[in-house]
Amino acid sequence: MSIMDHNGGSVIAMVGKDCVAIASDLRLGDRALSISSNFQRIFPITDRIYVGLPGLGTDVATLRERFRFRVNMYTIKEEREIEPETFAHLVSSTLYEHRFGPYFIEPVMAGMSKTPSGGYKPFIAATDLIGCLNFAKDFVVAGTASSKLYGVAEGLWEPDLEPEDLFETISQTLLNAADRDAFSGWGAIVHIITKDKIITRTLKGRMD
Amino acid sequence: MNTFLERYSSTNAVSQLKRAQRLAEEEDEFTDSAWGSQAGYGQLMNGPPSFTVPNVPDPSSFLRLHTDDHADPNCRIKIQHGTTTLAFRFQGGVIVAVDSRATAGSYIASGTVKKVIEINPYLLGTMAGGAADCQYWETYLGMHCRLHELRNRERISVSAASKYLSNLVYSYKGMGLSMGTMICGWDKTGPAIFYVDSDGTRLKGDLFSVGSGSTFAYGVLDQGYRWDLTDAEAQELGRRSIYAAGHRDAFSGNTCNLYHVKENGWEFIANYDISKLHYDGPGDVAGSPGHGYGYGIRVQGRSSANPPEATAAA
Amino acid sequence: MARRYDSRTTIFSPEGRLYQIEYAMEAISHAGTVLGVLAKDGVVLAAEKKVTGKLLDLSSAKDGGYGGSGEKIYLLNSNVIGGVAGLTADANSLVNYARTAAQRHLLQYNEDIPVELLAQRLCDMKQGYTQFGGLRPFGVSLLYAGYDPHYQFQLYHSDPSGNYSGWKATCIGANNGTAQSLLKQEYKDDILVKDAIGLVLRTMSKTMDSTTLNSEKLEFAVLTLDPETKRPNAKIYRPAEIDALLLSEGLTKQDDDTEMKAT
Repeated sequence: MSIMDHNGGSVIAMVGKDCVAIASDLRLGDRALSISSNFQRIFPITDRIYVGLPGLGTDVATLRERFRFRVNMYTIKEEREIEPETFAHLVSSTLYEHRFGPYFIEPVMAGMSKTPSGGYKPFIAATDLIGCLNFAKDFVVAGTASSKLYGVAEGLWEPDLEPEDLFETISQTLLNAADRDAFSGWGAIVHIITKDKIITRTLKGRMD
Repeated sequence: MNTFLERYSSTNAVSQLKRAQRLAEEEDEFTDSAWGSQAGYGQLMNGPPSFTVPNVPDPSSFLRLHTDDHADPNCRIKIQHGTTTLAFRFQGGVIVAVDSRATAGSYIASGTVKKVIEINPYLLGTMAGGAADCQYWETYLGMHCRLHELRNRERISVSAASKYLSNLVYSYKGMGLSMGTMICGWDKTGPAIFYVDSDGTRLKGDLFSVGSGSTFAYGVLDQGYRWDLTDAEAQELGRRSIYAAGHRDAFSGNTCNLYHVKENGWEFIANYDISKLHYDGPGDVAGSPGHGYGYGIRVQGRSSANPPEATAAA
Repeated sequence: MARRYDSRTTIFSPEGRLYQIEYAMEAISHAGTVLGVLAKDGVVLAAEKKVTGKLLDLSSAKDGGYGGSGEKIYLLNSNVIGGVAGLTADANSLVNYARTAAQRHLLQYNEDIPVELLAQRLCDMKQGYTQFGGLRPFGVSLLYAGYDPHYQFQLYHSDPSGNYSGWKATCIGANNGTAQSLLKQEYKDDILVKDAIGLVLRTMSKTMDSTTLNSEKLEFAVLTLDPETKRPNAKIYRPAEIDALLLSEGLTKQDDDTEMKAT
């Protein structure tokens, strides 16, 4: 079994109209045995940036703490919050530092980035486990159910979805893809990020 | 060990296969069986079927190389397996409960697989391991059970049926069949369960669970099992055990099929969605606890960090 | 006599003194004052800026970041504010080290670094520069104002020798002797932050070299505990907030020239 499949889990991020959504399942397993149904793999970096870390469970915790270190140093020195594009490059360079002994994580990022005029623009990005960046305009997926997520998202996504519609779309995408993957599921959590607030909802999923 | 068998046995599958191959080479390029005649069972009229086999020196290791194995999970051919099946004997007969998920690697290929094979109206067989292997050979067993009935003017015993199957798969030992099945029925000796697997094991017993989720099912079965369960309690035990396995095992789940074998034959009880069992329970059924099976549902989110008021006061 | 034993840190003088360290402390006694007072519900830090002038570009301090001009008072971690006196370049290096040390602790233990531990980390480094390497010591003294759940609010002072101690109220930099004796008279053990702010500002106005007491020459910071979240709340005041504070304390001192002009 691949190391990326050992603990299981999947993450997806989608772009909407002046909002982004990021969602993940809640399962943590040890190969076939499911252990936890509330394993957090999406973390807030700032009020407007969330990062999802699917892959090996121990690396989820380690990378989350490493990013916290580097973002804290950035914030204290720059005296301002980090922007999503900058954070994406921070993720990429942190992963490439371990090019020949990588973290078994494929991070997914979602956030609202400041425009020069003072407004906010939706932003999503994903990298592979050694830091290759992918700035998509529609959606990004990662994890054990990634191939299934691609399929459902391709079918359900459309541009300029309002926050509540985006919530429905991303929820259906994640739940149905996870139902076709043995290593994802056991519940799900969705965060909708708009320019002034974040709505977090936990979904009731199939518990098998 | 296998090569010993292959070299010196004259009646096992491999030598028969080789004979068939030689025959094929001598006569036409293709034997009758290659044309798929007589609904696939044509060649069985002459004893155990002869299968065409790749023209390589060691067909069984060729197969092992290419199919889904613990040795190489990235191989090309993924056989569908991963399951939980259970059966237990009690005063009211035999309860057989199975899940319905088939996985190929981590992909859930289907959630509606029938893992109980209805061999005949009074014999049931369960499916665990390679789905194709179980389906094919248990249907083949059904054919021979009927022949037995016709020739001997009485129903075949569970012991005889299971022995037939066990001997059959033993002749393919080492070739890569994957089967862990329980033959369940009610015969002259009463309710009976025989566990038969592709290694050649055949065991009589009161309680079995087979598959990747069997350990989870055993946990619930072992604490709830008694000989003098009522019918409702026994069905509830079977259902609850499959739920436990479907919940915890990644390769089991989707739905639970519940059967009850009685003296005059088996009865299909119902099909239950395992996720629905978690949240709502089995509904208005005999033996139902009246609420969902899931741990979070039963404790209503309470824990030692957030205890219910009653114990806090006490 | 001292001349022969003072050019290297790694040698003692015959009287048992390390002259380089003493010379470093001498450099600090010419630097801008930094004053710190520990209260029951917080810690207050104030500092006198030496780098001033009309041509100085302080636009980032006005609107952006945490306030403060970044000359004397620095945020070291979410629970520790540092005030520096001495060579600014050395101070920048030490502040960077402190910030990294605090994050390393967070990475390893998943908790904010205890204040004394942060002081120890810096002091261990500073002591190294007095014993090996043949490099000169850091010409910086620091005040650490911090909070941790183990010992609540604390105030520490460290100097170039690598020595540190905990204080209820202390002062470093120019005129620190005057300020120290003023604090000794007026300090009460159960002082609250709002009174401590007044005490600090009054003491600063008496000991500062300049005649004016306004945001141009003063940096100010307060560390308290947020009453709801119970997390430390570090506030480095913006220039506008300092002026407002001085006004409310009645300590706004104008230039004598401008006062004359008004009348």
